[in-house]
Amino acid sequence: MKGKNCVAIAADRRFGVQLQTIGTDMDKIFEIGPKLFVGIPGLATDTQTVHERLRFRTNVYELRENRPVTPQVLSAMVTNLLYEHRFGPYFVEPVIAGLDPKTNEPFVCGFDVIGCPCEPEDFIVSGTCEEQLLGMCESLYEPNLEPDQLFETISQALVNACDRDAISGWGAKVYIIESDKVTIRKVRTRMD
Amino acid sequence: MAMSLMRPGGFSYSELANAGPVQHHFSPYTDNGGSIVAVAGKGFALIASDTRLSTGYSILTRDQPKLYDLNSNTVLGCSGCWCDVLSETRLIEARMKLYKHEHQKEMSPGAVAQMLATILYSRRFFPYYVSNVVAGLDANGQGVVYSYDPVGHCDQNLFHAGGSSGALLQPLLDNQIGLLNMEIKPTEPLTLERAKGIIKDVFISAAERDIYTGDGILLKIITKDGITQESMKLRHD
Amino acid sequence: MALDSLCGFSTSQPAFKGFSSMCTLQNDLDVFTGNFKNNLQLMNPPAAHIPELEAMKVDYKDPLHRERKTPYGFYKTPLGYGPVEVPDVGAVTAPDSGLKIKMAHGTTTLGFKFKGGVIIAVDSRATGGMFIGSQEVKKVIEINDCLLGTMAGGAADCTYWERFLSKQCRLYELRNREKISVAAASKLLANICFHYKGYGLSMGTMIAGWDKRGPGLYYVDDDGRRAPGNLFSVGSGSTYALGVLDGSYKWDLTDEEAQELGRRAIFHATHRDAASGGVVRVYHVKEGGWEKISEVDNDKYWEKYSGDKMPIVIN
Repeated sequence: MKGKNCVAIAADRRFGVQLQTIGTDMDKIFEIGPKLFVGIPGLATDTQTVHERLRFRTNVYELRENRPVTPQVLSAMVTNLLYEHRFGPYFVEPVIAGLDPKTNEPFVCGFDVIGCPCEPEDFIVSGTCEEQLLGMCESLYEPNLEPDQLFETISQALVNACDRDAISGWGAKVYIIESDKVTIRKVRTRMD
Repeated sequence: MAMSLMRPGGFSYSELANAGPVQHHFSPYTDNGGSIVAVAGKGFALIASDTRLSTGYSILTRDQPKLYDLNSNTVLGCSGCWCDVLSETRLIEARMKLYKHEHQKEMSPGAVAQMLATILYSRRFFPYYVSNVVAGLDANGQGVVYSYDPVGHCDQNLFHAGGSSGALLQPLLDNQIGLLNMEIKPTEPLTLERAKGIIKDVFISAAERDIYTGDGILLKIITKDGITQESMKLRHD
Repeated sequence: MALDSLCGFSTSQPAFKGFSSMCTLQNDLDVFTGNFKNNLQLMNPPAAHIPELEAMKVDYKDPLHRERKTPYGFYKTPLGYGPVEVPDVGAVTAPDSGLKIKMAHGTTTLGFKFKGGVIIAVDSRATGGMFIGSQEVKKVIEINDCLLGTMAGGAADCTYWERFLSKQCRLYELRNREKISVAAASKLLANICFHYKGYGLSMGTMIAGWDKRGPGLYYVDDDGRRAPGNLFSVGSGSTYALGVLDGSYKWDLTDEEAQELGRRAIFHATHRDAASGGVVRVYHVKEGGWEKISEVDNDKYWEKYSGDKMPIVIN
């Protein structure tokens, strides 16, 4: 979710197989750069694989080009990575949130399972409670929010959406990315 | 020369071309979309629906509200398969007339709610594909909302969002009206004006993201003085 | 070949036989809401076996997607799907239309007898697919002041038939000048289930109560099974509940211990099972009737029951 000179990305922490909750401490958001994060909801094994592959590609990129990965570059990487598996896709729908390393321009971007990027000017949602999140965000979001307001908006959207989805929730983690710092907060949610 | 292109489904186009008798399927159901939102408060009940009726990607009409005044203090909202909506509402109408003449009084919302559950269950093995919401004022003048699954499980709530954008709107109502996950809760109860505002807002949001909801809304306000209505325009695309 | 036979009305229903004198309002009401007069009379599904349909190769796939026996014979199994044995009504589809009829299901309920009577504890979540339809469903049905029924499976199936059971129990009382026994009440429900066996009803219920024989607890399900017992748990979260229950259950529990055990078992089940949650309701059936003990949101119990196991940090 975009704010004024900041972006936020949030995810729940459930790890489960169908109806069974196995763990409540799974991170679905990963650091790619100091101001760049990717959230990868979907099949847990693919989440990890896609993350590792992205990590590999971004590292190679940074070594070869000797400059940080920008959100746009990461977006292209994700697209390519996912489309390479066009006929046997990874079951993940990643979301990128970050600030441009130079201009600090906010950037969010979402993908479908085969890597079609979608770059909206406000927010992007993904995962099992996509519909619920869409409804929440569409109503709660307003442009140019300050970091603390953005935190409140994104947390409310996530927590209330998860409360209407049987297989989401069990805790949440919210990342607020500003030009000079990243704040990570754990949010209490229902545990059932 | 016949080239066969394999499709992921596992059959080839040439097979299709030479296919013998074709099996046709008859489906008694279609989804005509539409959303209903109902909110109950102290001394009032509100129920609103959008006015779009669609099938697949085409719009049948932009002006078909999905609300039915059942009597002076009960309104029913139905969305889903429109033909089922029509036959179901007709049955309700007839049943309510019988009740009125038999008992010399109007049905209470609670009685309507139970009757609807029974009507829906009578079709347990060939269900009405309809999402129903009943809003009304009970004997104490309090607002009540009843929501249903297609085969007649009835649930009494204070607010409900049903139909094609039910999943989008329900968490928002939980938050704004049910005050879930709110640290600082407002002290005064929900007012009619605020409820109206929320309903209009949520429909604007739904029209933004749900292709089956749009064009306009019809809002019915049930108070002890009877039923009044308001309408509002929504996106036309 | 008209719409009436296509829809399967002509063989079983007198309606649609043309606009004859049969099409009176009363007649229509009797046909379309027959269950108002006789609660057992539900409308038949459209029949795929009608010869005309076969000849036309019109293959209606029934929306509940299940092979079942009707008074007229067997339904065809929809192409590509074998006979479905396990009742799974989470999301049943009419494959040709792609529409989903979602019914509320997914539950944890439990009941056990102990020296002080019977404890019934349930959660309150109703899910349609993965969407949480409601967080505060009443899954204990108060049949009368001595009898309780629990619901698991299709919410509509359970509420309708247990409401019907409640009526039958009252009629029994009026006819026989005595309260119905738990055994008889559960048998009535089991008979209904047996009558509709194969039609795709989905219910797993417990009937608990206190009668002249003392505390009673019966398990009744959609196949028509009926079994008396000391301890049951039904629903998608039942395995988790049984884990807690079996660990601490004994006959000599005090009332408070027993109530707390039921509550704790439901709580832990709701934590692990995604389809269970909401409010924990605990009922206690004693001599002379049942009593509602507590009705508290799960969320309030988290700190109490979780201990240091999985701390949630709020910064």
